[in-house]
Formats: sequence, structure tokens, C-alpha cells
Amino acid sequence: MTGTAPPAKPRPVVQPWARPFWEATREGRLALQYCRACHVHVHYPRIACPHCGGDRMEWRTASGRGTIYSYTVVVSNAPSAFTADMPYVVAIIHLDEGVRMLSNVVGCDPDALRCDMPVEVVFERIDDEFTLPKFRPIEA
Amino acid sequence: MSRGKTAIVGIGEIPTGRHPDRGAISYALEAARLAIADAGIAKDEIDFVIPTTAVFSFQFSNELTTCRLVEELGLKSVSANATVFSGGSSSTNALRIASALIETGRARCILFVHCDKLGTGVSAQGGIDLFSTAGISMEWEVPFGQHYSTVAALATQRYKHETGTTDEELSAVCVSNRKWAELNPNAFFRKPLTLEEVMASKMLATPLRAKHSNMLFDGGAAFVVTSAERARDLVPRPAYVLGEGGVVTHFAYHQEPDLTRFGWASAGRQAFAEAGIAPSDIDVAEIYDSYPIYQLIAMEEIGLCARGEAGAMHLRGDTWPGGRLPTTTDGGMLSKGHIGAGGSVSLLVEAARQVMGKAGARQVPNCRFAVETAVGGTYMDAQVTILGNEP
Repeated sequence: MTGTAPPAKPRPVVQPWARPFWEATREGRLALQYCRACHVHVHYPRIACPHCGGDRMEWRTASGRGTIYSYTVVVSNAPSAFTADMPYVVAIIHLDEGVRMLSNVVGCDPDALRCDMPVEVVFERIDDEFTLPKFRPIEA
Repeated sequence: MSRGKTAIVGIGEIPTGRHPDRGAISYALEAARLAIADAGIAKDEIDFVIPTTAVFSFQFSNELTTCRLVEELGLKSVSANATVFSGGSSSTNALRIASALIETGRARCILFVHCDKLGTGVSAQGGIDLFSTAGISMEWEVPFGQHYSTVAALATQRYKHETGTTDEELSAVCVSNRKWAELNPNAFFRKPLTLEEVMASKMLATPLRAKHSNMLFDGGAAFVVTSAERARDLVPRPAYVLGEGGVVTHFAYHQEPDLTRFGWASAGRQAFAEAGIAPSDIDVAEIYDSYPIYQLIAMEEIGLCARGEAGAMHLRGDTWPGGRLPTTTDGGMLSKGHIGAGGSVSLLVEAARQVMGKAGARQVPNCRFAVETAVGGTYMDAQVTILGNEP
């Protein structure tokens, strides 16, 4: 092997109150916070409800389904840790639970993507500690 | 804040470029001296200094925070030196805070200084890597390869989807801003740029191409703010602060509810209401343009044109020199060059320059009202400032 190895992929820097999210992805579940006072889902996980400020928060397993709010296919000038992945898709997913999540769309022809396309979650294990939630188009 | 109580009376700027042999401090000191001279004041009339952060170096930024400018310039009457930093909206927040300090009698004459060294202080890949974490969530976005090209591309893709704006219209922003840069001796890119060149440039992150992207450079600028009463005695045409408005919308980009609008409509309404004028009164628009999409969205949302119309305006030449609404007349980040927090420092300085009648070949005739927009982070806020030549 020649040259310098690319830097390792950045792993999520986890806040304590978000641990249940990452524990769930390890088990192949997408979990979202839910405020029992406001009756709404919250993502990303917060120390308290961003709407009412209260702490009546619980974890619920999400459907894992949503639509692509917007997307982009990265083909050049990526951050060092991602240059080997090009082309890769960065997308904002609007989950059926009414919250948004930034992720990657995988297992697809990037040219076939469009805004508002339905997608579902898939799990990509990166090491013993982290499994990232990613998305793939739902076949029509 | 009340309309017309404070004014920018002096501006200083050094050309955007690549100066590997020069320390960043030299840009700051030269810009500060130019601004003080432009205001026609003695250096010791400055009683408050507001530096902003230089992104290229934490060590250097700390030096600015710990009073290096005051000492190097030999300012003897300074009561406080306090850094104001909010990324690309730092200049607006500094002006807002300076105006409040002056209005409440806490300061009489405030010097704001910015410099950065992103052209030669970091490598090209280093710049990409820096902007793959700066202002981006380390838990929820960085692990997915988010960086500033994808941030801009995500807004561009959705905006095209909702408004039908074409790649040609988007690219016309780059052409328009270049036409102004051709007239600006402080701009880095001064050769004519065609629509074809923009649309044939390398794809970065669909639909964003290389020439849709700003480039990082070295540079610096400064301005002096004082009361309207003092301003009248100092210079023939101060740039009075007539109105300002702001909205903070998010930290993590995916949390922004509408990537085709952001907070501009509300920020614009606040600023125009305070100034007591309408968007149709504006003579020159200095719009934050780190990528073309943001110039289009801000113009539409603050009311300079209808939604979905901004691209066509650029293509028609309405925004060009001699056009109906001269826009981003210093060339902007797309052609003058991006110098960190300096993107909107340049635009605020240019807005003041136009209102003061000092814009040379770029001077917009009979310029009474200028609007300037600024944004920090991943478009985390929307900041609007209106300057005018009468209080």
C-alpha cells in the first residue's frame, strides 16, 4: 500500500440523552423521542422537549418510512474521510412521524432519485458501537 | 434600535487575494488604519474595539480577543475590546451591538475589524475539511458526509423542485456577480465569466458545480461606527443605519423547516418597517452569495422580487451594472472571494460605500437606500440591514 491512508470516518459524538437512539440502531430499530405533553415526535434527541421545555419525553419505535425532502449526489471535493465513497448521496429525510433526519440514500441509482420520493430505513453497521440509519427507495 | 441614530463613517478594505508571505495581522491593521483615516478621526477617538474571529487560526483569533489590535495600533482611549462572532453574520451582529452601545452612551466611536487567511493559511483540502465540521452537528450530520457543498446543494435541489428555476438561471447569479467584480480592484476574480463556463464547470454535489461555489482567500476589512450627530460633523455622506431585522432559525441544517425560504421574510419585514421604506425604494442590494441559491432566496423573501423570479432577473441583466436593481456590487463571495466571516463584512462595507458615494466605477447613481443581508453557520440565521444617506 502506498500513500497516506484516508482519515477514519467521523463517528457520532454522542450526547448522554441520545444513547437510546444509538442503542436502538444497533438492534436494527429506528427510535424517536416523543413528548407526552405535546403529543409530537422530536428528532434529533433533546435534553428536554424543544416545544414545551418539559421532560415528559419517552422513546418510541418509528416506522422507518419517510420521503426525500431534498438530496444531492456528491461527485467531487468531498471531505477527506468520504472521498473513497464518491459518488454518495446526502439527503434530508422527512419521516412519517413528522420529523427530519439527515442521512444517506443507499442501494439506488442516484440518477433515479427525486424530491418527495418514498424511502425506508436500512441499517449500516460501522463498528461494534455504531450502526448508522440510512435509507433506500421503496420499490413502487 | 431606533432609525438613523448611528452611522458608518469610515470604511477600509484590503484586496482579496493569496498572500502566503504576509501575516494575517497585517490585513487587520491596514484595514483598521484605512477605516480610521476614511472617518477623518484621530486614532484615539476610538473608544471601543470589536474584532471578529479569524477562522483559519484559533491562536490568532485569541490574539484579537486579547487586545492585540488595540496595542498594535496604539489606541489609548479604548474602554473595551470584545470579539463579536457569529460566522458569516458577524458584521451584522457587530453593527447591531455597536449601534446599541452608541445609542445608550456606552461608547462614542467603535472600530470593527475583520481579517482571515483562508487562502493561504489552510490547504485546499484543509478548507474542505474545515467546512465539513464548522457549524455542522458532530452527532447528526458530520458522520453522513455533510459539508458546505452538500448544504448548498440540498437547498438548491429543493428550490429548483418547488420553483422550476433552471440551472441556467442559477448560473446567471455567478455571471452577474462577476460583472461587478470586473469593476472592483479589491476582487480576486476580475476576468469576464460566461454562462457556458459556469455550466460546464466540474460537478461537485448535484446540482452544484465548481463555479457555483465560493473560493477561500486572504483579506480584511474594517469600519467605524458613531452617532448620527457626530457623523454629520465628520464626513459629508455618512451611511446611516436605518433598519435591521434578524431571525435565528437553526443550528443543524436538517432542522430548518423550509430550505427554500429560511427566515428572510420576517427579517426583511422587521428591517423595512424600522427603516420606514419599502423594498421597491431600494437602490442597491448587497446579498450574501456564498452560493447562488442563497442570493436568489434572500432577494425573493425580503421582497425585492416575487418567488421564483430572482433567477430570471439575473439572466435578464436586471442585477448587472446599469440594471434596474444593482445586486452584490462588490462581486460577492462568488467573485470577490470568501474570507470567512468576511463575506458579509465585504457586503456591509460595500453597502456603506455605495451610500457614501465612494464606489468608483461601481457607483450606483443617486444611491439613497442600500439593503444588505448576512448569514452564519449553515444558514442558521437571516440578518438584514438597511443603510441610507439621510438619517
